[in-house]
Amino acid sequence: MAEPILEARRLVKHYPLMRGVLFKKQVGAVKAVDGVDFTLDRGETLGIVGESGCGKSTVARMLVNLERPTSGAILYKGEDVTRLSGRALRAVRRNIQMVFQDPYTSLNPRMTVGDIIGEPFDIHPEVAPKGDRRRRVQELLDVVGLNPEYVNRYPHQFSGGQRQRIGIARGLALRPEIIVADEPVSALDVSVQAQVINLMERLQNEFDLSYVFIAHDLSIVRHISDRVGVMYLGRIVETGRDAEIYDHPTHPYTQALLSAVPVPDPEAREHRERIILHGDVPSPTNIPSGCRFRTRCWKARERCALEVPALAVPEAFRRATGPAAHPSACHFAEEKHVVPSEQPE
Amino acid sequence: MLLEVRDLHVEFRTRDGIARAVNGVTYRVDAGETLAVLGESGSGKSVTAQAVMGILDMPPGRITGGEILFQGRDLLKLKESERREVRGAGMAMIFQDALSSLNPVLTVGDQLGEMFVVHRGMSRKDARAKAVELMDRVRIPGAKERVRQYPHQFSGGMRQRIMIAMAMALEPALIIADEPTTALDVTVQAQVMDLLAELRREYRMGLILITHDLGVVADVADRIAVMYAGKIVESAPVHDIYKAPAHPYTRGLLDSVPRLDQKGQELYAIKGLPPNLLHIPSGCPFHPRCPMAQDVCRTDVPPLYEVDGERGSACHFWRECLDG
Repeated sequence: MAEPILEARRLVKHYPLMRGVLFKKQVGAVKAVDGVDFTLDRGETLGIVGESGCGKSTVARMLVNLERPTSGAILYKGEDVTRLSGRALRAVRRNIQMVFQDPYTSLNPRMTVGDIIGEPFDIHPEVAPKGDRRRRVQELLDVVGLNPEYVNRYPHQFSGGQRQRIGIARGLALRPEIIVADEPVSALDVSVQAQVINLMERLQNEFDLSYVFIAHDLSIVRHISDRVGVMYLGRIVETGRDAEIYDHPTHPYTQALLSAVPVPDPEAREHRERIILHGDVPSPTNIPSGCRFRTRCWKARERCALEVPALAVPEAFRRATGPAAHPSACHFAEEKHVVPSEQPE
Repeated sequence: MLLEVRDLHVEFRTRDGIARAVNGVTYRVDAGETLAVLGESGSGKSVTAQAVMGILDMPPGRITGGEILFQGRDLLKLKESERREVRGAGMAMIFQDALSSLNPVLTVGDQLGEMFVVHRGMSRKDARAKAVELMDRVRIPGAKERVRQYPHQFSGGMRQRIMIAMAMALEPALIIADEPTTALDVTVQAQVMDLLAELRREYRMGLILITHDLGVVADVADRIAVMYAGKIVESAPVHDIYKAPAHPYTRGLLDSVPRLDQKGQELYAIKGLPPNLLHIPSGCPFHPRCPMAQDVCRTDVPPLYEVDGERGSACHFWRECLDG
């Protein structure tokens, strides 16, 4: 198998909680990301889903080096980027770009669209020589489906969907190999969401991009991803190919999450089992012992409080070869169908 | 009939001209029924609700026509003091963002109790007891202790429960919920929607659910009104609309949603952008984005054609649309 283009190993990000004014001392830590492993192959889309506070955005920020991990490694083509600095780091950064969630706050309102998309060239002048920049920016606008004549307009002259296209054009400017997209469509209207998703898929084929696609919307993640990781309280609890996760989930959290998604089909509401979880996600400053999901799990037993379940193919499925045999961090993993399958007409 | 909105028109004066946010909306809600008002941002779904509730900012907003009949009375003809009676006791509203809808410097008990002090003239002590009862009713654990806490001490889902409790306090006949679960996580969303549906059944309230989420609608609504550019473009019982939409906009919306149970190829995308309310297109406002548009669509405003007794579609070609 080819070497993955990006790999996260035991990635951890703890934010210290300090108390005291003069003599600060650490009284605890917000364990935002607490040991995340994954690989991303070339040309592939890895979806990461989870609820707010699960650490998915922190993972994204670490991947593009906006945030330094507390421990663990991020390997880009086998090289640990967390140890790089200066010129070497800059070279890697060129290849891993980010698209942000909010198209309103991630574009500088005082810069023209041309300046926003062209700014990466100031930092990486080797990509586009000075005289060539305007043409390159116009090309990028065209690629994301905006009128190339708009280079001198300001962000407020565009709608939400158009702004997100500008954000994507900026991400593409340096011809990166990897794009990390953190909730790229959740601020958009339904009809515009589909346009942006289609654009991202087209660009992936055109430029041979690899995506890390982070979202809380399970339907969108399924649509765009080849593989999916489900995060809960700073860890990936289940991971596999999209059909393995959606049609054969074995972790109770994934099952609950999937069963809670409203399906746009009123016929499905009668014959659909819904698992309603009780309570809220525990605070990341005070993570439960053993399995971190046990406080909300209907299957929790004594063993769950004592032993941390590893993210591996569960014992029950180790001999199996079917789609249920994929890594799931649960002591009592079992298959359960929660997504109503399409009824044949 | 509990509520009937007839041919409502609302506009806003802005620096750039007059924005016509609501252009002749008509809908009705019966007791015990859930009507979902579906639309994208700028479709006028929230403005209509604010006009019904009587909390529209005027100016810059202005109701330029129509009637809002609630339990037989036209609310637009009432004095402000009478309107205030209706608000709270007759109808109540739940907003999207519970944190900014609650007062951060008052305990939740004080805020819930205020309803009873103001509307029922209760003593503070009795009102406090009522507040605890309400918190129990929306299943907030440890209500007796938590009644003294402030909004920031509650999680997002719990805060939305407090908003629901506040809306329920005077047992109104109608509740308007404006994107009540949009800010919440899916697992919490399901809890809150279930609670709302249960309370609605228990008290036989009418519920207007304003949302952009087709999934939420399918899960709880009896009827749907789809809005576009300040108009209702389709209204129908929930089953019919999902089976066979009678308006190309509804069809486009349904087709553009990625589904949990399918991994499709390319998503259908409605081309173009939602209209600018300062310059609403002539004829059918959807025609610049519509795959079925003909010449007549550019010139003639389609009325809400009757599809059958319970359905209406504002499309000249609703028959063709129904046939797919």
